[in-house]
Amino acid sequence: MGLPDSSQDLSTEMEVDAFRRIFPLRFFERHLSESLRPDARPLGKARDTIVNPGLVSTADGSALAKIGSTTMLAAIRMEVMTPSTDSPDEGCIALEFHMPPICSPTVRPGRPADAAPVISKRLSDTILSSGMVDLKELCLVSGKAAWMGYLDIYCLNADGALFDAALLSAVAAFSNLEIPVVALNDNGRIVAISGGKDEDNASIIEKKAVNKEKRKLTLKNIPFSLTCILHKNYILADPTTEEESIMDTLVTVVLDASDQMVSLYKSGGTVLAYSSAVKSCVELARKRAKELKQILGEMDID
Amino acid sequence: MEYVNPEGLRLDGRRFNEMRQIVAEVGVVSKADGSAVFEMGNTKVIAAVYGPREIQNKSLQKKDDHALVLCEYSMAQFSTGDRRRQKFDRRSTELSLVIRQTMEACILTELLPHSQIDIFLQVLQADGGTRSACINAATLALADAGIPMRDLAVSCSAGYLNSTPLLDLNYVEDSAGGADVTVGILPKLDKVTLLQMDAKLPMETFKTVFALASEGCKAIAERIREVLQENTKQLEYRRAA
Repeated sequence: MGLPDSSQDLSTEMEVDAFRRIFPLRFFERHLSESLRPDARPLGKARDTIVNPGLVSTADGSALAKIGSTTMLAAIRMEVMTPSTDSPDEGCIALEFHMPPICSPTVRPGRPADAAPVISKRLSDTILSSGMVDLKELCLVSGKAAWMGYLDIYCLNADGALFDAALLSAVAAFSNLEIPVVALNDNGRIVAISGGKDEDNASIIEKKAVNKEKRKLTLKNIPFSLTCILHKNYILADPTTEEESIMDTLVTVVLDASDQMVSLYKSGGTVLAYSSAVKSCVELARKRAKELKQILGEMDID
Repeated sequence: MEYVNPEGLRLDGRRFNEMRQIVAEVGVVSKADGSAVFEMGNTKVIAAVYGPREIQNKSLQKKDDHALVLCEYSMAQFSTGDRRRQKFDRRSTELSLVIRQTMEACILTELLPHSQIDIFLQVLQADGGTRSACINAATLALADAGIPMRDLAVSCSAGYLNSTPLLDLNYVEDSAGGADVTVGILPKLDKVTLLQMDAKLPMETFKTVFALASEGCKAIAERIREVLQENTKQLEYRRAA
């Protein structure tokens, strides 16, 4: 710590807000020694989480996820494309994570946020490797037509734990997704069938409907994640932006519904973690996965 | 195609002088100094204001003793019909400029010299009238951020189809090829800050359509005022508690 104890003297005279800004680490450590954080959460507890499906009517599947103040809006649009020759029976998912300037005072227009492409890649890897979506379900006509799902996740408010909120919104959007009805028309091309005009479509539907009704995807091995901060001997679950800016060692654990580990991410940071610390993070992630599973379950019923 | 049926009902059941349902909320982005969500029917827009803060790019500063106002308009990839949008196309750049100039006219920039005010607009769903929804959202967000303004800038659009002036066009009516007049006014001062129109209209018809849009603007101004007053009441309660 090395700082002289003059801050101790100042702290009795200074206002709390000023102390928080000028000596942020000491401010947090005072709280951590009482096993609390400034927002009164115990160290291992995540913030209140809300998931709202189906908000974007122009998209085929969408969801809004909020963890504390961090807000993510995910939406999926399906388009038909030709599958590659290596995997003629499989569709494709393209994921993009955006951090528009509204989400944080540190994001400048014209210059993408530093965190955005990193989270984008990690999300993409996590979702594809978890096997949540069976790409074969996205096939329409083998070798000729398959679905391409464009998943766009927008961060509307960045207050820490961006990866967790983004993954949750992506998973919720997939469970909200309804694949549109299409048919093969006479030219051998896929056309969308809209609600109205039944006379025109009835003939097409009889002959060559590729899928009869809007269907949902079957999701297996849904991934749930928890980001933790390591600081000395403390492990803080679900950090806010303020905590992330002061303490730089983040560990993200992604587990699926059957308690298998999908991904583990610790990229540097001043704290070197013993394996016991990593195990504690995994334990916290396990508890969190149960909570999230319940929240998603309630969302589906609605 | 018939946009107004013989009984005077439009495609979504509205009459010619009815606006879509408005939902407005302030203070939605906790990290921003001021923020608002504004919905006109199916068009949903989020505005966030950061400022006044230190100027980040000194080369953009033109007037020394006035605040610099920057605006960025962007549409989410899933906001419109079938096609995915290019991230920064010409339309977004044009709209950013238009909205910036509209808001700049109404902010008292001389009270905040050497500072920068950023207005960011994100369209989450587009169903016609995004320009107007953005200006209305920006006004709410600027008020939420406590930035001094001359008046509330409000905006509404109107068009002319099947020989009828129509208030607040949605996407289908807008793409019908008739005229589309977007008006932005400062209601208390009764001044026009924004006026855009495409397609041809005879002068008399233009006056009618313009008057209709201005009426729409006044109605929106009332609503915005209500939302802001309610918000202030809530802040008072919290402060007193």
